[in-house]
Amino acid sequence: MSSISLKNVKKSFGAVDILQGIDLEIADGEFTVFVGPSGCGKSTLLRLICGLDEVSAGEIVIDGEIVNDVPPAKRGIAMVFQNYALYPHMSVAQNMGYSLRLAGTDKAEIEKRVGDAAAVLRLDKLLDRKPRQLSGGQRQRVAIGRAIVRKPQVFLFDEPLSNLDAALRVDMRVEIASLKERLGTTMIYVTHDQVEAMTLADKIVVMHAGRVEQVGSPLELYRRPANLFVAGFIGSPRMNVLRAEADERGTLRLENGTVLPVTAPAGARQVSVGIRAEHLSLSDDPGAFVLRGRARVVEHLGSDMFVHVSVDGASDPVIVRCPDEMELAIGSAVSVGFEAANAHLFAPDGQRIVSADARRSAA
Amino acid sequence: MAFAVQDSGKGPAAALRVSPHAERGGLKARERRVGWLFLAPALIAFVAVILVPFLRALGLAFTRYDLQTPVPEFIGLGNFHAILTSPEILGSFVTTAIYVVLATAGSVLLGLSWALILNQPFRGRAALRAMSLIPWVLPSTVTAFVWGWIFNSRFGVLNALLTSLGVIDYPTAWLSTSGGAMTAIVITKVWFSVPLFMSFFLAGLQSLDKEQLEAARVDGAHNLALLRDHILPHLKPVMLVVIVLGVIGNLQHFDTIFALTGGGPVRATSVLSIEVYRRAFDQWDIGMASAVGLLWVATILPAAWFYLRHLLKGA
Ligand SMILES: Nc1ncnc2c1ncn2[C@@H]1O[C@H](COP(=O)(O)OP(=O)(O)OP(=O)(O)O)[C@@H](O)[C@H]1O
Ligand SMILES: [Mg+2]
Repeated sequence: MSSISLKNVKKSFGAVDILQGIDLEIADGEFTVFVGPSGCGKSTLLRLICGLDEVSAGEIVIDGEIVNDVPPAKRGIAMVFQNYALYPHMSVAQNMGYSLRLAGTDKAEIEKRVGDAAAVLRLDKLLDRKPRQLSGGQRQRVAIGRAIVRKPQVFLFDEPLSNLDAALRVDMRVEIASLKERLGTTMIYVTHDQVEAMTLADKIVVMHAGRVEQVGSPLELYRRPANLFVAGFIGSPRMNVLRAEADERGTLRLENGTVLPVTAPAGARQVSVGIRAEHLSLSDDPGAFVLRGRARVVEHLGSDMFVHVSVDGASDPVIVRCPDEMELAIGSAVSVGFEAANAHLFAPDGQRIVSADARRSAA
Repeated sequence: MAFAVQDSGKGPAAALRVSPHAERGGLKARERRVGWLFLAPALIAFVAVILVPFLRALGLAFTRYDLQTPVPEFIGLGNFHAILTSPEILGSFVTTAIYVVLATAGSVLLGLSWALILNQPFRGRAALRAMSLIPWVLPSTVTAFVWGWIFNSRFGVLNALLTSLGVIDYPTAWLSTSGGAMTAIVITKVWFSVPLFMSFFLAGLQSLDKEQLEAARVDGAHNLALLRDHILPHLKPVMLVVIVLGVIGNLQHFDTIFALTGGGPVRATSVLSIEVYRRAFDQWDIGMASAVGLLWVATILPAAWFYLRHLLKGA
């Protein structure tokens, strides 16, 4: 069991600063997920924690000890690589037992621990195979097994499921979740996948361009994104954003004068109003809600449907999620509405501002 | 559209006609014909320049054909009998074996080490890689000349270096001792082969997955374990090819040995290639030379066969 803390960790490759001062606390036994767009430095950060690369500045602390100059094998860390990085000429059993063999553990003990891990991961029948004789999901399990066998203090996963097909991903996600329950080890997990992040994480770290944008539990990030970037990144489909202008009394209006059902705090001028697809209501009666528009695209997902509506006075279409039972013709006039409590307001610099309605209700 | 769907629903396969664009003899037939066409010049050259002379030499091995016998005279296995009872020629086989083992082992070891060094990232690596190829590009007579000069008993660089370091008191005639001459021809050949072998190994190393090594490091592997458990197993196929190529090349090697020692002193470096040359063009005993040559080819064949099989299997 281990806690990890990063103190102003920086990394540059030559003249390019990739990580610009990361501060992060990860508690013992916590499942932390790094998310962020491609190239934002997630893998780089993971490699620093693992010890595969050296930090340019700052400190990496594991269990109260600075480990900047400790080689990866001595950090008590196991890493699962995105492309598995199995040893192609070794059998599954040899792959899993390799670290123990290097550590000089005796044969019987290696066999026992490999056997235990294989049983957990349902690899028992594959122990004699070579990696190339395995399917993608089996390889992934071997990679995880190789990590488990070492009984590490910390697990690092770099997009472990990104090479698997959708069905297998779900299986493996469940498997990792149960692993987390059983082992209770500190885990850091990098992913692009919303669902993986939301379902697995105790704590999500949203990264962007080498910085941490927000740290919080999945629901915190979903309910109170700290800025527009996090708002757009967490949740699927992306949060809808309406550009509005506030007058002295805080009334928010779209370009064409439509008044929104949420009030800006005093002093705000340009405000981005974010509402998630599931918090918008749609009606084929153009008078039912305040926002008028036309249905442009209808996506049927079976249980739900997403309707893309071009709203009068807004530059981008908004996506509305509604039950898949409405009969809706493309191009038909519709109206869209939302409740003030579900609106997220952001200042022009992208930071969250608290709406006047929320302040009133808090008071 | 509706018509097409209906039709394919009940239409029998026999009603379908073959596209007029179909190739006679299947899709690959045209490619095969063109292939033979491209192969023809090389095939003709091979038959004329290699196969026919080789078969004739094969015939000469069973004849007496020397200065006293202007017309080849069939003597059956006589030449081979002479070879088996000639300590000189049997010695040649031993000399060849020593030379091939030393030169191949030296080239493989140094080529691999050099490749491992050049595979590390460091400043000036590209320049060093390019420079490493120089020995391989130099004509072999130049190579022989350079090394002849290095080993020269009176003006040689080696003597100058060793005397100034105080390792030896007097200049040594390296090429006049049998051990020295063997060492010299081995070093020369190694020097010449290392660049090529290094390139093979380097190419192999570059296809090694970097993440695999990183995973091994996380698993606790130090440098030696990385080499033993990951790099060498990965290089095994390359290693096989390199060793076989090395053995074949060293069995055949002639020019730098001939230029440096001429097979001497006495017969110390008289490998099979030199032996055949001497028999044929010093003593004009063509029949005997052909017989030795035949045995010589027979020693190369297993290695060559192995190499070809490996190549074809790879393709
Ligand atoms: N060895 C390197 N040398 C130079 N630049 C690098 C190196 N490794 C990574 N980078 C750069 O650092 C940035 C962050 O890379 P990183 O691999 O951490 O991104 P990531 O967040 O993991 O992206 P992805 O989600 O696509 O895996 C990228 O812009 C990349 O080009
Ligand atoms: Mg990455």
